Amino acid sequence: MKKFLLPWLTMAFAVTALVAVSGGAAKTEATAAPASAEQGAFSMAIVTDIGGLNDRGFNQLANQGRLRAQRELKIQTRVFISNSPQDYVPNLSAAARGGHDLVIAVGFLMVDAVNTVARSFPNTKFAMVDGAIEGLKDKPTNVRGLLFKEQEAGYLVGYLAGLQVKRRPVGGNQKVGAVGGIKIPPVDRFIAGYRAGARKANRRVQVLISYSQSFTDTAKCKEAALNQISNGASVIFQVAGGCGLGALSAAKDRRVFGIGVDADQGYLGQHVLTSALKKVDVAVFLTTKAAKAQGARFRGGFNAILGVKTGGVGLGKVSRRAHPADVAATRAQQRLIAAGKVAIPQRVP
Amino acid sequence: MSEQEPERRELAEPDTPERAEHPTGGDYAPSVAARLALFQRAGGILTPLLTAVVAFFVGGLVVLVTTGKNPLRTYEAIFNGSGLNWLFPWVRGEERFLAGLNLQQTLLLTTALILTGLAVAFAFRCGLFNIGGQGQYLAGAIVAVWVGGALSGLPRVAHVVLAIVIGALAGAVLAGIAGLLKATVGAHEVITTIMLNWIVVWIGTYAFGLGGPLQNETLAVPISEDVAETAKLPVFWGDPLLQGLHVGLFVALAALVAFWIVLNRTTLGYEVRAVGFNPEAARYGGINVPRNYFLAMAISGLFAGLAGALDILGWQFRLSVSDVQVSALGFIGIAVALLGRNTAIGVGLSALLFGALLNGTSTRNLDPEVFPPELASNLTLIIQGLVVLFVGADVLVLYLWQLRRRLRGRSAVPPRAEAAT
Repeated sequence: MKKFLLPWLTMAFAVTALVAVSGGAAKTEATAAPASAEQGAFSMAIVTDIGGLNDRGFNQLANQGRLRAQRELKIQTRVFISNSPQDYVPNLSAAARGGHDLVIAVGFLMVDAVNTVARSFPNTKFAMVDGAIEGLKDKPTNVRGLLFKEQEAGYLVGYLAGLQVKRRPVGGNQKVGAVGGIKIPPVDRFIAGYRAGARKANRRVQVLISYSQSFTDTAKCKEAALNQISNGASVIFQVAGGCGLGALSAAKDRRVFGIGVDADQGYLGQHVLTSALKKVDVAVFLTTKAAKAQGARFRGGFNAILGVKTGGVGLGKVSRRAHPADVAATRAQQRLIAAGKVAIPQRVP
Repeated sequence: MSEQEPERRELAEPDTPERAEHPTGGDYAPSVAARLALFQRAGGILTPLLTAVVAFFVGGLVVLVTTGKNPLRTYEAIFNGSGLNWLFPWVRGEERFLAGLNLQQTLLLTTALILTGLAVAFAFRCGLFNIGGQGQYLAGAIVAVWVGGALSGLPRVAHVVLAIVIGALAGAVLAGIAGLLKATVGAHEVITTIMLNWIVVWIGTYAFGLGGPLQNETLAVPISEDVAETAKLPVFWGDPLLQGLHVGLFVALAALVAFWIVLNRTTLGYEVRAVGFNPEAARYGGINVPRNYFLAMAISGLFAGLAGALDILGWQFRLSVSDVQVSALGFIGIAVALLGRNTAIGVGLSALLFGALLNGTSTRNLDPEVFPPELASNLTLIIQGLVVLFVGADVLVLYLWQLRRRLRGRSAVPPRAEAAT
């Protein structure tokens, strides 16, 4: 029975393949060399973490920083996307081998990979977003950590949230909530700042904190947020990346405010009170700029920490439903922080 | 056991694959088993090959439509990215070096995919659909992290072997639970294995999360400690620091051989296949069906657990909460087994195909000019999806073909003559 089917099917494929080959062969030779960096000219590459380039978070911001550097500094750049942990080391070493002067790894999960690759390529400069150099087991000196004062951004959105529930207590409650992903230091700093800010703005406020144990599963965050809303929280701060979009959707469904994180999530609608920005794009751009200007003098071995003052963190787009006086008060706090006049805790006790 | 064997063979005769393979004549009503056997062998190696070719062809159309570039150039880039051009003797110098690096990564993936593919295939041959490959893979990985990290005083060989064996056993135990439930109370293995997957994911999330028992002690990040140097598998090709190819590849290849031998040359394999073709007939033939359900699942889990352990001891060395949650090699194993027709050689080849695809479409290999980085990994997913789709579709084509034959047989052509074609 297969005797009838197979020959003509095979033939059809053979013919299409032949046609395609003859069309393709001519073009193949035209562009042979891959887009590796030219000798001498400065170039940089970023290696993203899992989640894709359009994750509306970290990877996307880092890529925006790369594109800005390419545009404004007139340099060659390239992005290497990691689809699984198995891509970390090959991506980093391919970037270094490809002649890129600066390689920026995005995400704390890549610290160990950066450690081994930086040892093998001592002449390449590395930087890692959210990775502290204390995590490098072999202490290579050509790696710079890029950290953020998340607590400052958390403080600002917490301040605005505290004022908001004071102005509009829901059912007599003055409660705000924070849904964290996994309790890692950056998440902790966001929430610690949020709590301090909300309390500073409003002494009677109660801050609910829970963790979804995931950065990806939107359902988990939605569930956690709905719990907090049932318990009377009327502002929900998501600190869980992609998972947190579920928390913001819970806020929308139940007609309370949500607060975005990392990227500006105000595009989701007016139910997003504001966003606690962590400007990975700025960090990538500034680091690239410094590396290009300093050349061989670009040092590693320390953590560059970006805060409100250097424009590394800040307040996102504010919802039209927020009261202008509250917004003005929050902006005043922002100036105080920039001047170094506010002490903000970094850990949730 | 061996004494009773010939007797069993005789009793089970009507449903053995050898008989089912030759449906005789128009009045023959094929049982489920006969149809399975037919699909198993339909077209021999040609059907899966065609499946892959059709998938690539449609994938090429997708490339053409989305990027407007010549799909053959994209495929050429993917092929070179997979490192398979290393096999060509005319590739020399720097290019050969890079091809070697790529091939190492492809084979790392192939190692894991062979084993997760076998995990699905073995259960399939017993008529069970093991969707728990992912959980079993993770169970093996988690236990390997634990054994590889603890017990650091052991000599190297003992430590590696112990970590691998206990990791594989962890997978076997997990799958064994599903097999036991199927054997005793008839709980469907699809449901139980999926639920067991989640149990492992959350155990891992707890174990490596902050304050968890396996979380590292020096840093406040949800990652385990590294496994000890004595537990790392030796790298035989490439730079051990930069994720070279470890000897686990040979373990996977040996597993392929073991899979074939167990299925085709042992009593156990014979019983497993008999149950797979028709559990009722097998029971009638004196085969202990529940026992085979349990054993088939446990052996499946052994393969998947082995994959997890080899990945940890070969190149990963540590696990994070995020790794546990986003890992998907166990699920790709289902596609590998389907394309490989649940045979040893088929699984080996399709694992290589999927490994090459996954690695070849990574952005470090695909020139951004040839293929936009945003689309690169999606292409793999498209081709994977198409492969699974066409694996199903060719069964449909065969079915239609048979239907046509039967209709024709009923009208004019005598059944005997038709059967001869």
